[in-house]
Amino acid sequence: MTRYSARVYRLAYGITRSAPDAEEVVQDVFLQIINKGAGFEGRAALSSWIYRITTNLSLNKRRGKRRELETSLDDMLPTFLPDGHRAGDRAFVVADWSEMPDDKLLSGESRRMLEAAIDRLPEHYRAVLVLRDVEELSNDEVAQIVGDTVAAVKTRLHRARMALREKLTRYLGGGA
Amino acid sequence: MTCRDVIEVLADFVDGAMPAALAAELQRHLQGCEPCRAYLATYRKARALGTVAGRIEMPAEMQARLRRFLADTLRTV
Repeated sequence: MTRYSARVYRLAYGITRSAPDAEEVVQDVFLQIINKGAGFEGRAALSSWIYRITTNLSLNKRRGKRRELETSLDDMLPTFLPDGHRAGDRAFVVADWSEMPDDKLLSGESRRMLEAAIDRLPEHYRAVLVLRDVEELSNDEVAQIVGDTVAAVKTRLHRARMALREKLTRYLGGGA
Repeated sequence: MTCRDVIEVLADFVDGAMPAALAAELQRHLQGCEPCRAYLATYRKARALGTVAGRIEMPAEMQARLRRFLADTLRTV
């Protein structure tokens, strides 16, 4: 149980961003595992199925909830001049906070900013982000789990990462 | 290659999934473009922070509730 419950909870929480919702998803996933019995051909098939069912149940749980918190990603993407160079204030486009220590970035207001940025991602983007960057699955595996094309998965992943980067840069960039 | 071109394909570059010739072209652009170097560094860092933030563990009391739930469920199956 421990092997799967940790992963299921991580993914469910990553998508729903709610501990009570994630707990319900974990219980529902285990109920489905029990009901399905031994109908899997090996551990890989079971693992893939668990990711898929967890993603679907988590997305269903999110349906109609907290949409007001989610922002359009268009405002969080870089803008460009007609010649293809970055548009915007020079100090902002060269702001590099990447050398700041992790303990500072992952605590206090910076951590709250990061969590808020993740909260505000549309749920399908957050699902791809968690499956790729937390669970470290391949684009192909994620595409099968979310039932989309590899190209769509790559686009969502890139836009989600860009949105996190933008939010953090708007908060940290001035002090870099 | 423009800044727009670089940022468009940054995910493949960061994930090591870019053809070598294109990666070399991107590297050449980076050498002369401070905004893109900053973008790449902060994109990598944001990705790493997202990974760490996502590594949450199920609270102990929730694990205990789950064990009880499964025990109760299996008794009735």
